[in-house]
Amino acid sequence: MSLDMNKVVLSVRDVSVSYLARRGRVRAVSQVSFDLHAGETLALIGESGCGKSTLNLALIRQLPKNASIDSGSIAYTYRDGRTVNLLDFDKTAMRRYLWSECSMVFQGALNSLNPVLRVSDLVYETAAAHGIGRLEAQTRALKLFEQVRLDAKRVFNSYPHEMSGGMRQRVLLALSLLLRPQIVIMDEPTTAVDILTQRSILDVLKQLRAELNFSVIFISHDLAVAAEIADTVATMYAGEIVEIGPVNDVFYRSRHAYTLSLLNAAPRLSAGAETLESIPGSPPDLIEPPPGCKFHERCAYAQPICRTTPPPMVAYNNGAGRAACHETARVLADARHKA
Amino acid sequence: MTALSASSPPAAQPAPTLRERLRRLRRSYLFKVVIQGVITILAVMTLTFFMIRQMPGNPFQVRIDDLMTRQAMTYEDAYRAAASIFNFDPDRPVILQFSDYIGDLLQGDLGMSITKTGTPVAELILRYLPWTLFSIGLSVLISFTLGTTLGLAIGYWRGSWLDNVVTTLASVISGIPDYIIALLIILIFGVQLEWFKIGQVRGGVDPTITPALSLEYIGSILQYAFMPMLIYTLSSIGAWILAMKSSTISTLGEDYITVAQARGLPQRRILSAYVGRNAMLPLITRLAISIGFIMGGSVIIEEMFQYPGLGRNLYLAITGRDYTVMQGIFLVITVAVVASNILADVAIAWLDPRVRLDKGGEA
Repeated sequence: MSLDMNKVVLSVRDVSVSYLARRGRVRAVSQVSFDLHAGETLALIGESGCGKSTLNLALIRQLPKNASIDSGSIAYTYRDGRTVNLLDFDKTAMRRYLWSECSMVFQGALNSLNPVLRVSDLVYETAAAHGIGRLEAQTRALKLFEQVRLDAKRVFNSYPHEMSGGMRQRVLLALSLLLRPQIVIMDEPTTAVDILTQRSILDVLKQLRAELNFSVIFISHDLAVAAEIADTVATMYAGEIVEIGPVNDVFYRSRHAYTLSLLNAAPRLSAGAETLESIPGSPPDLIEPPPGCKFHERCAYAQPICRTTPPPMVAYNNGAGRAACHETARVLADARHKA
Repeated sequence: MTALSASSPPAAQPAPTLRERLRRLRRSYLFKVVIQGVITILAVMTLTFFMIRQMPGNPFQVRIDDLMTRQAMTYEDAYRAAASIFNFDPDRPVILQFSDYIGDLLQGDLGMSITKTGTPVAELILRYLPWTLFSIGLSVLISFTLGTTLGLAIGYWRGSWLDNVVTTLASVISGIPDYIIALLIILIFGVQLEWFKIGQVRGGVDPTITPALSLEYIGSILQYAFMPMLIYTLSSIGAWILAMKSSTISTLGEDYITVAQARGLPQRRILSAYVGRNAMLPLITRLAISIGFIMGGSVIIEEMFQYPGLGRNLYLAITGRDYTVMQGIFLVITVAVVASNILADVAIAWLDPRVRLDKGGEA
């Protein structure tokens, strides 16, 4: 795998997204910054409702009408080195950008395909929308279907209802690579399928990533999957990235109390059930977020300072990772102890 | 699919035997619905036959009353006069009348009109059916096309001014019965504004023009059909708009729409192949049902405009208690409803690949 840490494909800076609700503005994503490098797989982990999916939709500017990107920039670097801010794009430019530069595999493959069209139609229309002819599209699609281990010819002429959930998910995966994008966003692509299908999809994904060399933003609440596939892991809580770093640092040397709690709440084969700890309470209200660290109400490490002062982002290992926690020292000690 | 790709090519298979063919026919969709349709038609026929005879009075009585009041005849004179015209015996037991009717029908004979002596019912129907088929068929087509297009547009641009205006109008208009719409149009545009002469919208075609395949004749047909068609369209379009709007909105919530947008497909393509086509599916069945409703509604509208269709003749037959004509027209309406239901099924199977008419045909 050619992970090139010198080439940044997507640079997200201070992006905030809010929904307009009846009670007020819901800050679903606030001040999120990260870099996605060429060939890198970034896993976004966190509870339901932490803003993962909203962040994703913001990255492809497909937010619902009642949501808006309030601030920040999303800089994308083309293969030829040109850099653009996605937030400056108009509708047409955005339409051209979508799928050819950044595609997406959605959760729920069952409903992601139009039931009245054949897979071949999906391929042709996607290609046509980006100026690629039928023959070229067909050749590419058949090759991709083979790469995701499908019976290529049969799938190409099938309707969605004629395929199983796992097959459909692989069709989506293949379709997402049809236009050879630099970035593929995957929103819980393995959630709706059984464990064996999940296994085969992950294998296919790893193989494709090695062959085609694209960057992945992988959204998941399944930590095991994230650990297996990611180079970098970002933990999101209440709309913020609270910790981001190389996968081994985040999982074995956690520096944020929330990441550690999340890891402790995930079942492991090696440990008994008694070591499973749930996180008390539920995510905070995003219309009027609590002062200080947003996690302090549920945090076992909370100190008086956590209730009043938001923790600053602290970088470690020359900027390889960073975390925003007042109690990094104690969390890190516990994490090392566990590992 | 597995079975299909695994089986040997058709050329290698032996020719199907007669029994095999019969078995296939028995399993085929068309065979099933045709049998169901025939049963439905028979049931409706039987019910109408007995129900219309439960109405107060009979053709005989109606004519006697008519003669007595209009020509001041005595009851005896009127009875004799009526008996001499009518080819109908009111005292014959109903069950025997029914067996006569079924017997004739099986030979393709709908019987003779009771009040219009010497006119076969089949001839009457053949003469008036084209007018109704033409005006209703065209109205249904216009109303459905226009209604679903508008519904799709306002569903897609929900909350726009277009949506607010069209939804309000559609709600109001779909709540008004067709005959009230007809009266309102006559009163407002005919009587008050005098946009058209009321006398000139009555009938089917200008009687002074000789029937021919000329522009003038066709123009006159269209001109006279305009009012009934406008009313059929207005009375049904509101329901189409509202149904298509709600169907569109629920389709817009589907994941495949989001995915299509993320794929960078042009809006045109998303509207037609994604939103429109999927939102249309549940409406096809309603289309079939609506044809039956409009057929029923045509009774009053055709009478109001003296339009020479089946509806007006049904009205005349009902007032004159012309049992045979009523039976004939009800039969035509029933067949039309059954046929349009079958057509709707075929159309859905064509539009939605998930629906397959022949189950187990290949396995």
